[in-house]
Amino acid sequence: MNLQKHDAETEMQMDMTPMIDVVFLLIIFFMVITDLTQQDLEDLQLPLAQQASPDKPKADEWRPIINLKHTGEMIIKRNKYFDPEVNTGPKKYEDLRTQLLSMANRMKKAPLAEGSTKMVPDEPLMIRADESTAFRYVQDIMEQCGDQTISIWKLQLAVSVPDPNAK
Amino acid sequence: MAKRKGNLLVSLAKEECKLEMTPMIDVTFLLLIFFMCTLKFKTLEGKLAAFLPKDVGVNTSQAEPKEKIEIRMDVKNPGNKVRPGAGRTPYTKDDEDKRLRYVYDDSRVITYSIGAKKTTDLKEVETTLRAFYKQDSTRPATIDPRKDIINSDVVGLLDVALAIGFTDITFVGSYEK
Repeated sequence: MNLQKHDAETEMQMDMTPMIDVVFLLIIFFMVITDLTQQDLEDLQLPLAQQASPDKPKADEWRPIINLKHTGEMIIKRNKYFDPEVNTGPKKYEDLRTQLLSMANRMKKAPLAEGSTKMVPDEPLMIRADESTAFRYVQDIMEQCGDQTISIWKLQLAVSVPDPNAK
Repeated sequence: MAKRKGNLLVSLAKEECKLEMTPMIDVTFLLLIFFMCTLKFKTLEGKLAAFLPKDVGVNTSQAEPKEKIEIRMDVKNPGNKVRPGAGRTPYTKDDEDKRLRYVYDDSRVITYSIGAKKTTDLKEVETTLRAFYKQDSTRPATIDPRKDIINSDVVGLLDVALAIGFTDITFVGSYEK
């Protein structure tokens, strides 16, 4: 009987430390694997501009972004859809077109003009081009966007903002 | 009396000395890892809005279409390719094969043509555009980048035009191959 009483007293002292350890580990684990927001953005050197509006996307916001490297490679969500060294010939933009089309389908639509029944995508496509990228690649993307089936007409050019703390 | 008090102090001190540090270190390390994982060195990014010509069908409005200011950009001197960073070492054939990043050095010169006016100075472009803007602030502008113009050239000009106040800026689609 004495032994039982003793046991009951010791069991009351629950050690919380391992539980907290495990909980923290789980939090870190899920935070690391769900951090997909940065997947859109390639590591690029963007051109500098003073007049840019700050870009603060919401954490769970879907944004159509095309990354354009200095070599002309076009990358969407870590996947390459165009490489000037690989994709040549008249159908070289076929993969990119498919991507642009699915982006256009996901975008909100608005009438083409007042009173028009034709609906066109009304959200901007962001082009993140490296500062040394030949502009003809940007123009090529613009040309694909202007296609009748895609008709994305709003664009954003990503730039880097001068550091306010500098100077 | 004094002896008894001393004994009590000794026994109290002995008990308090047993501080288990291991869980605290565990938790501290976990917090450290947690903040290291969540900390992001965010670079400041911005965006410049631009629009492509929208096909609006037949124009039924009575307003007279405004004449666009066309700014043509040509490369006068492409400049030398250098490796980015402080060293500014020349960009070699080997770098090109590896597809490493490059930038152009200060010898790069662009010719801007606005109507009959030709200049290589972006400041002069600004003065010219500002004069146009004073005459009519709603006049649309078109940027026509030609062969070998790079992204930062266009963004530099776009930045100047936006700073003056131009809102209707479009790009010429066709590219001279």
